[in-house]
Amino acid sequence: MTQRSLWDLFITYVARSYPRILMLTWQHLYISGIALAITLVICIPLGIYLTRNEKLAPYVIGLANVFQTIPSLALLGFLIFVFGIGNDNAIAALVLYAMLPVIQNTYTGLRNVPPSLIQAARGMGMTERQILLKVQLPLARPVLIAGIRVATVWVIGTATLAAAIGGGGLGRLIFSGLASIRNEVILAGAIPATILALLADQCLKMLENYYSPETRAKRLARLGPLEPDKPWDSDQDETVLADETEENEEAASESPSDVDKTKGEDVS
Amino acid sequence: MVEFDAVSKVYEDGTRAVDALDLSIAKGEFAVLIGPSGCGKTTSLKMINRLEECTEGRILVDGKDIQDVDPVTLRRNIGYVVQDIALMPHLSVGENIATVPRLLGWKKAKIAGRVDELLAMAGLEPKKYRYRLPDQLSGGQKQRIGVLRALAADPDVILMDEPFGALDPLSRDKLQSELLEMQKAVQKTIVFVTHDMDEALKMADKVILMRRGRIEQMGSPEEIQENPASDFVRNFLGEDRLAQITPDMGIESLVQDPYLRVLATQKAAAVLDQMEDLNLDTAQVVDDKGKWVGMVVPRRAKALARDGGTIAKAVRKDRRLNIEEATISDAAAMLADMDLPVPVLDGRGHLLGIVDSSGIARLAIGRLCRKGGETR
Ligand SMILES: Nc1ncnc2c1ncn2[C@@H]1O[C@H](COP(=O)(O)OP(=O)(O)OP(=O)(O)O)[C@@H](O)[C@H]1O
Ligand SMILES: [Mg+2]
Repeated sequence: MTQRSLWDLFITYVARSYPRILMLTWQHLYISGIALAITLVICIPLGIYLTRNEKLAPYVIGLANVFQTIPSLALLGFLIFVFGIGNDNAIAALVLYAMLPVIQNTYTGLRNVPPSLIQAARGMGMTERQILLKVQLPLARPVLIAGIRVATVWVIGTATLAAAIGGGGLGRLIFSGLASIRNEVILAGAIPATILALLADQCLKMLENYYSPETRAKRLARLGPLEPDKPWDSDQDETVLADETEENEEAASESPSDVDKTKGEDVS
Repeated sequence: MVEFDAVSKVYEDGTRAVDALDLSIAKGEFAVLIGPSGCGKTTSLKMINRLEECTEGRILVDGKDIQDVDPVTLRRNIGYVVQDIALMPHLSVGENIATVPRLLGWKKAKIAGRVDELLAMAGLEPKKYRYRLPDQLSGGQKQRIGVLRALAADPDVILMDEPFGALDPLSRDKLQSELLEMQKAVQKTIVFVTHDMDEALKMADKVILMRRGRIEQMGSPEEIQENPASDFVRNFLGEDRLAQITPDMGIESLVQDPYLRVLATQKAAAVLDQMEDLNLDTAQVVDDKGKWVGMVVPRRAKALARDGGTIAKAVRKDRRLNIEEATISDAAAMLADMDLPVPVLDGRGHLLGIVDSSGIARLAIGRLCRKGGETR
C-alpha cells in the first residue's frame, strides 16, 4: 500500500462516498431533532409544572440528574431491554439524557422572574395564563434557551453513539472507521457531527439574540406600528412554547442543508 | 366610590394586618393612607383589587361588592401603581403603557394614539420614548411610566403604593406636583399609600393615618395638623417632618441661640475671659441695636487684649448665613470648612442665632433612627 497522507485519503473518501455521508448526516439530524423535540415538549411543560408544585422539584430534577449521570453508552445498553435495538432506543436514550438542562433551566428561569413583576401583572388584570405567556416565559427565555443550547449540543454529540446499538447517523462512520482502522472514515463521521453541533448552537444563539429586548425594541422602532401581534385577549394566544420548538427545529433543519451545500461544492 | 365596611384581613400565619377598617372614599377624592411600616397600608390597598382577599367585612367599589366581580375584570378597571414600579423589562415603554388597553382588546390604532397622548401628557416626547426599554430610563421617568400605565385605560379608581418612594427629593417633589396637576384635570378616585407625612399633607384631600391595622385618625390635612387626635399622631407628624428635611430646605429648623453674644463695645480681654470660662472657641458680636458685627477670631482678640482694645476689631464678617436664602446644604458646607458656629442673620443684618454641627447631627440622627426603624 502506498503511503498517502490522511488528508488525501479523506478527500478521496468523501469524494467517493459523499451520498452516503449526506444520508447519514440527515439521519443524524433526524434522530437528534426528534429527540430534542420530544425533550422540549416534555420538559418545558414539566419545568412550568414544577414551579407550581415546588415540593416535587427536587425529586424530578434529581431523577433527571440520575439519567444524565449514567454514562450515555450504558444508558443505551439498558434501554435495549425496553426498546430493542435501533433508532427508537437511541431517541429514547437521548431524551432521557437531555432532560436535565431543559427542565432545570425552565424551572430556575421561571423562578427567577421577580415576584413584584408577577404581582404587577396580576394587579393589572392578566389571567394566570397571560402571566405565564406574556411575563414569565419571555423573561425566562434567555435561561431557557441557554438550557436548550446545552441539550442540543449534547444530543447531537451523543447521537453518534446510536450506531453502537444498531441505529443510524454519523456514528456509523465513526464506528466502522474504528473497526477497520481507517482514520479518514472516522473523520468523515466526526467532522460533520461537530459542524452540526456548532451550527445548531450558533442558530440558537442567534435566536436568543433576535428575541432579546434590545433587538426587539429596535425592530419595533424600525417597523413603526406598536403592536406587531394580536391583542392579548384573543384566546388563540400563540404559545411561546410552540413557537420555540418550531423555530428550533427550523434552525436545526436549516443547518444541515448549509453543510451539505458547502461540502458538495468543495468536493466537486 | 370605594367603601370599606368593617374590613379585616388575617393572614394565614395569624397576622391581623387590617382590623375592622371602616372607610369611605368619595368619587374624585385623593385619599392618602399613611402610617408606620407594617401598619397594613399595602394590605388595605391590595384588598381593593383583590390581590388579597379580605377575611371579614366587605369592600364596595362603585357601589358593587367586589366579591361579586370577577377579579380579572375588577383589576382591569382599577389602575394600579406598585410599590417598586415593576415595569416589564422585556417590553418597550409604549408596550408597558399599553398593557391594560391590550388586555381589554382595544384596537391597535386606538392604543397607539392613547400611548402617545399619555407620553405627551407626562412631558415625554412620544417619538423618542415609545420604543425605549425601561432600563434606558431615569428613575423619575420610570415612575412616570408606572403612573401612565395605571392611567392608560382611563379607570375611575387608581391605587398607588408609594409610587414616588424611591426618588430623590427633587424629582419626588416634581412628580408630586405633576400628579396633582393631572388629578385636577382627570378627577380620578385615588388611593395613595405613603410613608411620608409631607407627601400626604401635600397631596391629600383626605389623610388616613393608620396604626396596627386600624385608623388612628382620618381627616383633611388641615384637620390632622390642627387637631392631632393622639400623641401618636403628633409624633408621627413631628418626627416625620424632621426626617423629611432635605438639603435644599431653609435653615430655620436648625437655628439656635448663640452660645455667647457680646456687645461690640466690650473689651477684648473680658470677652476672651468669658470664652475661656464657657470653654468656647468663638462668640458673636452685636451692636446695641442687635445688628451683627462679626464673629470673634480668638487670635486677633488676644493681640487686641494686650493693648486693651474693644472686641469690635477682632472679628471676621465673611462667614454668615442669611435666613432667607441659605439652605441646609450651605450651612453644612460652611461647617465642613470650619467647625465653628455659623451666625444666621435676617434680611436687615440682625443676628437671629447660630447654626452649628450639633444641629446637623440632630437632623442626621433623626433620619437615621427612622431609616433604621423601618422594616420593609
Ligand atoms: N403575605 C403575608 N403573609 C403574612 N403576613 C403578611 C403578609 N403580607 C403582609 N403581612 C403582614 O401584615 C402586616 C401589614 O403589612 P403591609 O404590607 O400591609 O404593611 P405596610 O403598611 O404596607 O408597610 P410598609 O410601609 O412597610 O410597606 C405586617 O405585619 C406584615 O408583616
Ligand atoms: Mg407597603
